Amino acid sequence: MVPSQAFTIATRIVNQLIRDRRTMAMIVIVPLVVMSLIGLSFPESTVLDYIAPALLATLALFFSFLLTGISFLRERSQGTLERIMASPVSRLDIVVGYLFGFFLFALTQTIIIILFTIYVLDVHYYGELWQIFIFQIVIITGAVNLGIFTSTFARNEFQMVQFIPLIVVPQIFLCGVIWPVEQMPDYLQWLSSVLPLTYAVDGLRDIMLSGKSLLDVGLDLAVMVGFTVVFSILAAVTLRRGAAS
Amino acid sequence: MATDEPAVRADEVSFNYSKLKVLDSLSLQVPPGVSFGLLGPNGAGKTTLIRLLVGLIKPKSGSIRLLGQPPSRRIAHRIGYMPQLHSLYSELSIIQNVNFYARIYRVTNRAEREQWVEEAIRLVDLWERRKDQVMKLSGGMKQRVSLACAIVHHPPVLFLDEPTVGLDPELRVTFWEHFAYLTSQGTTLIISSHTMDDAAHCDLLAFMREGKIIARGSPAELQQATGKPDSTLEEAFLYSIHREAGNGS
Repeated sequence: MVPSQAFTIATRIVNQLIRDRRTMAMIVIVPLVVMSLIGLSFPESTVLDYIAPALLATLALFFSFLLTGISFLRERSQGTLERIMASPVSRLDIVVGYLFGFFLFALTQTIIIILFTIYVLDVHYYGELWQIFIFQIVIITGAVNLGIFTSTFARNEFQMVQFIPLIVVPQIFLCGVIWPVEQMPDYLQWLSSVLPLTYAVDGLRDIMLSGKSLLDVGLDLAVMVGFTVVFSILAAVTLRRGAAS
Repeated sequence: MATDEPAVRADEVSFNYSKLKVLDSLSLQVPPGVSFGLLGPNGAGKTTLIRLLVGLIKPKSGSIRLLGQPPSRRIAHRIGYMPQLHSLYSELSIIQNVNFYARIYRVTNRAEREQWVEEAIRLVDLWERRKDQVMKLSGGMKQRVSLACAIVHHPPVLFLDEPTVGLDPELRVTFWEHFAYLTSQGTTLIISSHTMDDAAHCDLLAFMREGKIIARGSPAELQQATGKPDSTLEEAFLYSIHREAGNGS
């Protein structure tokens, strides 16, 4: 790997998105609108306090996955990815470059969501704020790689959008966001145990509702890091397949 | 690379997408410093051949050598590639696009990079508009930016996939002037096209049809092969098709 090459790609993505003012505005406004609606639909603060960790994890996954998946797909469809693939840059440099480029914007959205949740919706939490941020960063890193990997299987934006009900929605239902995993049938519990959002929700709830530390939720954190590594490897391995098609 | 080594060499290369045979035991050799035209109708396999030669896809059988080496990342910095799509970042300016490709192709020295970026943009006559966003440019200007991106790192071998498609006649002439300048500097050009207007500008040609090279030589040699002194390249191409059909039957 040549870090300067990954840095060049990351810088280019940042420059590109910054110059796309409408996208930049949407990156900021959309999470604010969504969080405002959620706040208004939960007038009982205790209910919102309970559901907030799951919402933070889900929205971080959803926004990061969507932003990366669509942006990366554009790289494929407009031929720029193929052009990079013909250059001396390695696949790992490409994945790392895209990861850091998109990560910055996914992080921006996540920071907006967390700060809005805590300071505007007035959600109470017990853990350390910086630990919530660290945990969220792990979630978005995994989601960015998942977006890159998933975009390999889509040939256009319509197909990419179909991955949302396939990848994001089942996790909302199966990973303890709406009802506890323990109340589901055994086979669904098993399915939930192989989905990243289960560990994201579990870990974030422990930090925010029980005041646990990152060390206490080490298992959830380790599984999330594991998912991130696996998605990165899959993204790098499948890169040529997508570019060549 | 030895001086007598072809810049590009393909031996018995075959490629297929699923059951569709796109290239069939194709062989070619391109000497250094010439413009080599791959001429043929749409679907002849020109783009697939170029993608194979630059290493984006691997042949099912046969071998490829670029500057004496198999296509790989190790040699990619010595290759330029202008794909059929513009393949540019529309939100970025002309200079940002060209600078990005210079960095990607390892032009690491900053002063040298700035100089090469300026040279490439001046060559395609867009220096005055270097700060314009690519999305605000016409199709022809995007083609020129795409060419600048492909040549910015001074590659000795340059692959151009249908570079003149969609260009008006004036711009087409300008492009061929650029190509002539590049070959005069020792660059080897492999240019795909489906128009015979382009063919006449090339030093050497390979007529392609249905995944095979059906004739090769200089434009004059291919015209002479028809047996008619005043034949055009269109006639030479049709003659090659008939001759190939006769050999096959």
